[in-house]
Amino acid sequence: MSPAPANELGYKPLDGGWGWMVVFGAHISIGFAYSAPKALSIFFKEIQEDLGASYSEIAWISSIMLATMYAGGPVSSVLVNCFGSRPVVILGGLMCGVSMVAASFGTSIIYLYFFTGIIGGCGLSLNLNASLTIISKYFLAKRPLANGLAMAGSPVFLFFLAPLNQYLLDKFGWRGSFFILGGLMLNCCVAGALMRPVVLPCKPPSFALQKIVEEQPNKSNNKLERSCTKNTKMFCDLSFFKDRGFVIYLIGNMMFIFGAYAPFLFLSAYAISQGVAEYSAAYLLSITGLVDMFVRPGTGLVANSKWIRPRIQYFFSFAMIFNGTCHLLCPLIRSYSFLVVYAVFLGISFGMVFALIFECLMDLMGNQHFPSAVGLVTIMECFPMLLGPPTAGLLVDLFDYKYLFFMCGSVIASGGIFLFVMNIYNYHMLDKENRENDSEPNQRTIEMLDQVLEVAMKQTADAAEERTEPGAKESNGAQEDP
Amino acid sequence: MFCSRIVLQCDIMAASLAQLIEEGWGDYTMQQEEGEKIPCEKAALGEDRGIIIMSPSWTQLLFQILLLLVCCRHINTKTSGATPSPLAPVPTVARSVVLKGESQNETIEVLNPIKLELECTWTGDQDKLPNITVYWMKDENEIENSRLTVQLENEPYNLKREFSIEKEENLGTYSCVFENVSKINFILAAPQIGDVREKPIVSYVGDYVVMTCKMEESKPKPSSWNWYKKNGTDEEQIFPAEEPRYKIKNEDEKTKLVVHNLTEADSGLYYCGAVYAIATTKSPVKLKVITYWEPLKPFLAILAEVIVLVAIILLCEKSQSKKDGATGNETNADQTYTLTEGENKDQEGNSSVRQRKV
Repeated sequence: MSPAPANELGYKPLDGGWGWMVVFGAHISIGFAYSAPKALSIFFKEIQEDLGASYSEIAWISSIMLATMYAGGPVSSVLVNCFGSRPVVILGGLMCGVSMVAASFGTSIIYLYFFTGIIGGCGLSLNLNASLTIISKYFLAKRPLANGLAMAGSPVFLFFLAPLNQYLLDKFGWRGSFFILGGLMLNCCVAGALMRPVVLPCKPPSFALQKIVEEQPNKSNNKLERSCTKNTKMFCDLSFFKDRGFVIYLIGNMMFIFGAYAPFLFLSAYAISQGVAEYSAAYLLSITGLVDMFVRPGTGLVANSKWIRPRIQYFFSFAMIFNGTCHLLCPLIRSYSFLVVYAVFLGISFGMVFALIFECLMDLMGNQHFPSAVGLVTIMECFPMLLGPPTAGLLVDLFDYKYLFFMCGSVIASGGIFLFVMNIYNYHMLDKENRENDSEPNQRTIEMLDQVLEVAMKQTADAAEERTEPGAKESNGAQEDP
Repeated sequence: MFCSRIVLQCDIMAASLAQLIEEGWGDYTMQQEEGEKIPCEKAALGEDRGIIIMSPSWTQLLFQILLLLVCCRHINTKTSGATPSPLAPVPTVARSVVLKGESQNETIEVLNPIKLELECTWTGDQDKLPNITVYWMKDENEIENSRLTVQLENEPYNLKREFSIEKEENLGTYSCVFENVSKINFILAAPQIGDVREKPIVSYVGDYVVMTCKMEESKPKPSSWNWYKKNGTDEEQIFPAEEPRYKIKNEDEKTKLVVHNLTEADSGLYYCGAVYAIATTKSPVKLKVITYWEPLKPFLAILAEVIVLVAIILLCEKSQSKKDGATGNETNADQTYTLTEGENKDQEGNSSVRQRKV
């Protein structure tokens, strides 16, 4: 298990109790975020006939939604830092609901791009970021398990949304379905309501506080907005790029995302080209989803164990290499039963990677920097995500399906190997730095204290200007997480 | 055209020649096959049956006969069909199938009127039957005068028949039957529309709907498309000129029917018809028109559920915090976090990377 409670948090997180309700809320929120763009594809044929657009024009709706969801990361991080998770998730849920309801009245494809793609995508990005952040606030010791459970929302929701969408389509047509889906997405507001803000007792200024105050001020609700907007202007995204671990993680992740989604898009088509019946080919994806559903919490459980937790970065790179290898072996498969085996292994490896993907970032960046870091990571991941499937499609058109799998597999596997090697290097360097630091602790302590005092005095001056409630007294030294 | 007029002339000639011979040459009779025209040659050659005494009318006749001889040789008269050949040449299509034991089906796509020659070949059987009865059927009804009893020899037996396919009624299933052995079904039809949508299209009152029908790329394109609406048991054709609510957009291989300002009465079965020279093939499309109230009901139910749940959660939280407030603590009992003291480690201060060690 983990060592002493997170020093930088300044408090010992709950690791249970209401935390599990928060995980449930995050499960719903993340579930909608990842499954909604995919599940919408069921409506495409209908919409295509109704609006008279081509298939590629319609398919853009999903891509815009997914891209906006990832691109909205930094904005979402800022909002979460300022206001906390609960209001952001409730706002996200409202945005999604309103966007789908408005989209149901659409008469042109541009209208759908705007409402479903952009507004819906923004709502989902708010949901995603805030849910991940609140997990990091509530859990430490059991955080991998909590992450695994929350990320399992994606396959679970996809599993239920796909047939539900088909049923709604048959009963109400695509407009009615969008209308009702808008209502369903309002359930994200319920998820948001579950995400009770973490309220901390007051405490004296600490070293952690100083860093936090400089970069992401967490102040009392009264002064939130003003100080937040003041400080966000000073907030520099690019400072993360100086962090070695972050850069390594980012590169590895981008390589993974580039190759991750294309095999899913082409698996059915590949199976049909190998002579499998259309109905059976569609089952392959369902099998992958079903396996994924159970593997994610399972991986979380495994990652929580005392052998794996300290080496979680290596476990993550192993999962990536496993995924890449699966793709590389796929072209050797000709018969349906082996394709089923491939689908199962694909589900396992994909689930493993996704259960750990944000846990590793939390592990690397720590609780305070995580919201901003995840925003930056998601916006950077936008590019490989948009480039990956079309490149794969191009390979299929020019050559053959097997080159698609070779490309995806090799990119992912090399990403995994890169992560593995570079993490060894990173930890080695960190060891070295720590040993150097340990040799002169006293000097640093004095410097830190000076700085903290300066900041505390500045804060008192600010507080004196606007204070009206007695609660502000505590805000001087208290670290209140919204 | 010249020869066709001469064919008519043949008739007249034959009639006048017969008359002349009857009058002057009673012993000589012209043999005429029943129901057939006299081939010109035979008419002309009737001369060699007797001595011809030339008279002025005879000279004229002789001259005409000579003329006919030259032209009529080129005319083909058909002996096998019961119907006369039309003026424009109709293509003949032949299809031949070998019987393989069990009953077989052969689909033939017919676009235009044709003459179809169907041939069934039977290679013989292990237990050599001396006789076998063969006949033709159309749509489970035996065709008259087609029954034959054949003596089998060691060679394969060919059963051939020609059919004239001109109208929609001529389409159907033709079968050559070898009694007690097997049969081959020839299914004659215009190209069928392949992908039929089984589930109804759902649309809303006041909205518009687009119904599409598509003929597969591999099949021949129809000359035009029609749309029909089912009214009771009849199908009424839709004419956009009469009702501006309907618009039909036709392309070669697909057609779209757009109906504006839908009402609930517009629900029902529509048919798109692909028009070919021989027939029109139809494919059903079902339309269902509902009011906005239908999806609104589940939506309102979900909205109510969300509001209720959010209210419950927030109220519970408030009541809990009030309880805690009453006991003199500002924080929630759930969330009393113990502060860690003496955290002098600088890890969070300088680097954002934490290392996890056992």
